Amino acid sequence: MSRSRETVVRAAGLTITIVYAVLIGWLFVRQPASFAEVTGGLSSTVGAYRIDQQAFEDGLRYFRNDQFAEARAAFERADTARRDALTQFYIAYAFYRQGWGRFYSDDQLYRQGLETINLAIALAPEGRLVVEEPGQEIRTADELKAELERGLQVEASDFDPARVFRQRK
Amino acid sequence: MTAAREALHLPILFLTITLAAGLRPGAAVMLTPPSLFSLILAVLLVAVLVQSGTFAPRRVINESRPALANLNGGMLAATLIVASAQMFSLLMPDAGLPRTLFSVYFLVLMINTMAASPDRVRVLRSLAVTFGAGFVLKFVVLDALSDPAGGRLARVLQVLFEGVTLGVLTQDAQHPAAGYIAFIAIVAFLAALSLLPSAARAQSASSAIVVRDA
Repeated sequence: MSRSRETVVRAAGLTITIVYAVLIGWLFVRQPASFAEVTGGLSSTVGAYRIDQQAFEDGLRYFRNDQFAEARAAFERADTARRDALTQFYIAYAFYRQGWGRFYSDDQLYRQGLETINLAIALAPEGRLVVEEPGQEIRTADELKAELERGLQVEASDFDPARVFRQRK
Repeated sequence: MTAAREALHLPILFLTITLAAGLRPGAAVMLTPPSLFSLILAVLLVAVLVQSGTFAPRRVINESRPALANLNGGMLAATLIVASAQMFSLLMPDAGLPRTLFSVYFLVLMINTMAASPDRVRVLRSLAVTFGAGFVLKFVVLDALSDPAGGRLARVLQVLFEGVTLGVLTQDAQHPAAGYIAFIAIVAFLAALSLLPSAARAQSASSAIVVRDA
């Protein structure tokens, strides 16, 4: 093998190895659970990730009609890689609204909601997510997170009879 | 050793082994990084490989080589250590008494191999037996003892076994693909070790030059 050809092989080998090692390191850090999350994560790294807008609109429609399981299914279809902060916000919001009860809240749904809103906050630029939607009471990820955390805590106010008159947000 | 093998084939193979050995298939696929103890075992394993001449680091990193070639050599050594650590992580049970026993088993085996100072062929054979035994114990024996999907008799025996051993031996059931992935990773790792630049090959190459000079 000529010296120049050997140099090319060595340089290419080093580059490929470093890129592959970085990719493997990224996989170990991000822990994608599916192939869609791998491709979505990689494309979002280069700013090329796009959600399925039609599925997102379907999800919003279900959400406004109080069909929360259907809404989550549509939102998950819209954001298969779980890389879009807004879609994750609405998934968390759907967990909140479904889990909300006049007498008690569903802890399991609230926990899932909290996990999802934490992901949405992590995905949002600088952790700030504001959703300006008319008629929607919770407009920021921080408000939703606080609501979910309050629902999971047992406080003296939980035993206040006036609690039954509060409104779902 | 060719430049392609040193710069491309072996590092890529070791990185693929790192990925495969860290893969934990299941309802949610997980990637497990090597534990700290696995890294210690990996360093011991690399020491054994160097001592036995299975891996001759001077052939891939020395002052007479160009900087790029030394970088390739460094990358090869780094990927070897990481892949070795992942192999130990793969073969160690996830928790309980078996994990402790396996840890001690691998540690004693590495130290014993260093003390025995075997040659390249014996080290490769010894590693094949060690990793093969680890594979059979974890993916065949312990998996069979921890399988919740067995028949009624199997479940009765499992409950009795758990009672006798106070539940310290049984592990979480593994995905059926886990054993196959582990087997491929072990075979690929042993093959990669046999392809490393060895001291024996360097010696025979230099002897050939001496004969020609004479």
